[in-house]
Amino acid sequence: MATADPISDLSRPPARTGYALLVSIAALPQEQFDGLLARLQELFAPEDLLIATQNAFTPDTYPSLRIVNAPPSSTSWTLTAGDFVAANELAQKHDARHILILGPECSSLSADTLRELATPVISGSVDLAVPNYRLPANAGLVNSAILYPLTRALFATRVRYPLAIDLGLSQRMAARLAAAGQRLGQNDSLIWPVAEAVTSGFNIGEFEVDQRALPQPTDPDIRTILTAITSSLFSDIESKAAYWQRARRLPPPRPEHLRPAHTGSERTSEVVSMVEGFRLAYSNLQEIWSLVLPPATLVGLKRLSVMDAASFRMPDPLWARIVYDFLVAFRLRTINRGHLLGALIPLYLAWVAGHINLSSSGTDPEHHIEAVAAAFDADKPYLVSRWRWPDRFNP
Amino acid sequence: MIHPLHSMAVWIQSQVPPLSQLTSTDNNSVLAHMSEALRQSVYRVLSLLIAVLPGLLAFFVAFLLFTALGMGVSALLRRGLAWARFDERLFRNRSDWAPSTPPTELVARASFWICLLLGLLIGVSAFDASYASANAPAFAVLPYLTHFVGALIVLLFGTLIARFLARSVLISAVNAQLQYARFLSLGVKWLVLVLTAAMVLDHLEIGGNIVELAFGIVFGGIVLTLSLAVGLGSRDLVSRSLESQLERSDRNAPPLTPPGTASDESIRHF
Repeated sequence: MATADPISDLSRPPARTGYALLVSIAALPQEQFDGLLARLQELFAPEDLLIATQNAFTPDTYPSLRIVNAPPSSTSWTLTAGDFVAANELAQKHDARHILILGPECSSLSADTLRELATPVISGSVDLAVPNYRLPANAGLVNSAILYPLTRALFATRVRYPLAIDLGLSQRMAARLAAAGQRLGQNDSLIWPVAEAVTSGFNIGEFEVDQRALPQPTDPDIRTILTAITSSLFSDIESKAAYWQRARRLPPPRPEHLRPAHTGSERTSEVVSMVEGFRLAYSNLQEIWSLVLPPATLVGLKRLSVMDAASFRMPDPLWARIVYDFLVAFRLRTINRGHLLGALIPLYLAWVAGHINLSSSGTDPEHHIEAVAAAFDADKPYLVSRWRWPDRFNP
Repeated sequence: MIHPLHSMAVWIQSQVPPLSQLTSTDNNSVLAHMSEALRQSVYRVLSLLIAVLPGLLAFFVAFLLFTALGMGVSALLRRGLAWARFDERLFRNRSDWAPSTPPTELVARASFWICLLLGLLIGVSAFDASYASANAPAFAVLPYLTHFVGALIVLLFGTLIARFLARSVLISAVNAQLQYARFLSLGVKWLVLVLTAAMVLDHLEIGGNIVELAFGIVFGGIVLTLSLAVGLGSRDLVSRSLESQLERSDRNAPPLTPPGTASDESIRHF
């Protein structure tokens, strides 16, 4: 009976099947889509690429590329569970070993950025490649005030944009994110890739992105955005409490990226409006805040309410304490969660007013954001203590 | 001549027995009457108890039966829902769940209390059916208990809804920077409380038409006051809000905001 010779199999390198990289692209105008494909073809060999797009196309349009249809995204401004699940399914179906997910309005990404996001994942040095967007001082404020400091303090990572919309994923990272998406069960749920990677012990690489047009939510109302994002983040933190309650060393700071010199701009009317809103909230929401915040924080807010708009600034430790107390109240369900996050909005706007005041005075906004994150790091024992013993006396 | 008074005395003497005889006869008669009265009242009490007993028994049997049923259903639901991971499924991205108790526990407790309440109601109905209320006005009030329990439930839910709506309105109004946020919140709260009070009184069958009339007047008054306050006080705000909503609905897709354009100057929260 003939048997296969094992030695001949070992002498020959195994034939690689499938694709090296699946590039999942959000819906784009046709000319922008063409430009992006041209950039990708410059960077990678066409036979290694599999493109998944939500755009309509005919096979003859791009004869050198293998293009498949991707299911439409449920939102137009960020990545959701449905996007991760769909990308992972496509990668498995077509045997793609790595994934590059490009979010809405990704046509503004340069070729360098695309290479930096994909190459480390393909080489296997990282499981999750995330961009560090260079945004104006007045953009990405929810990220600067809440997402970045909280993620940094709790998960001991310095990733600047935990909710980035362009990601490079290894196979196991994609599978992990898809599993998280399926666990949530809703296509439009937000997934937190950085937290997933950290808790799984995967490597994360962060890469500078020079230019990126970040899409804005369809409904620009801050109440909608803040409630959607913070409730998702707080829920994710709640589900990973066993991980972050342990003390972990924060990695050393990344090398300072050359940023354009910050020029302060006057935003007096917006600051005055936000400060007035905070004062109105202070006089009306005391009853609700007192259910969530300890007396010391309320005294801090009282001091803040008598400051004039020009010198208005929320102290960093006070802001860290407020976010931590709201997180604990979210977990304990002290009041209805919709009410809780609604009551956080005036406080967030007060932080924004202070941040804009600082930026206007010529302070580098990045330095302020780093100081806020450091305050969150320093106050983490308070959160752990309140999380474990919420009924303990808290003056 | 015989004196008429003498003849009357003779007649009375003939009618009234001698003193010794009178005392013994009276004693016997009073004792007999008293024992007869006592016997009759004991008989009446016992008859009453005998008449009530089946009803009471039915009440307790129904109550205990449904309590046991409630405990069984509650335990069954708790195990079944835990097995089906009901909490996890419900919490999937439903972060607005407010009560501090897990949903499984709430469902189990609710089922127990519903069974208990059902037992109470059925017990009262059985008691009412087995006992003729016309015979004892004191027990005629018991069926009213069902109305009382219903009114209590209405009052409880009304108060909870009033508080929830008042908070919702207060937070929304503050975030919309309305100066009269507290007034608006109080208005909504009292609107719901007045509605609840009217429903409770109606359920208890107290007041009749007077309550309906008073409720109509008070409710209408509050609505009119709020309409005037919003209409006159924030006419500009309402028109601006409507205009911005119309503008927003006209836009099908968010505009592209490439870096370096004028839109960089506006505050972008995301």
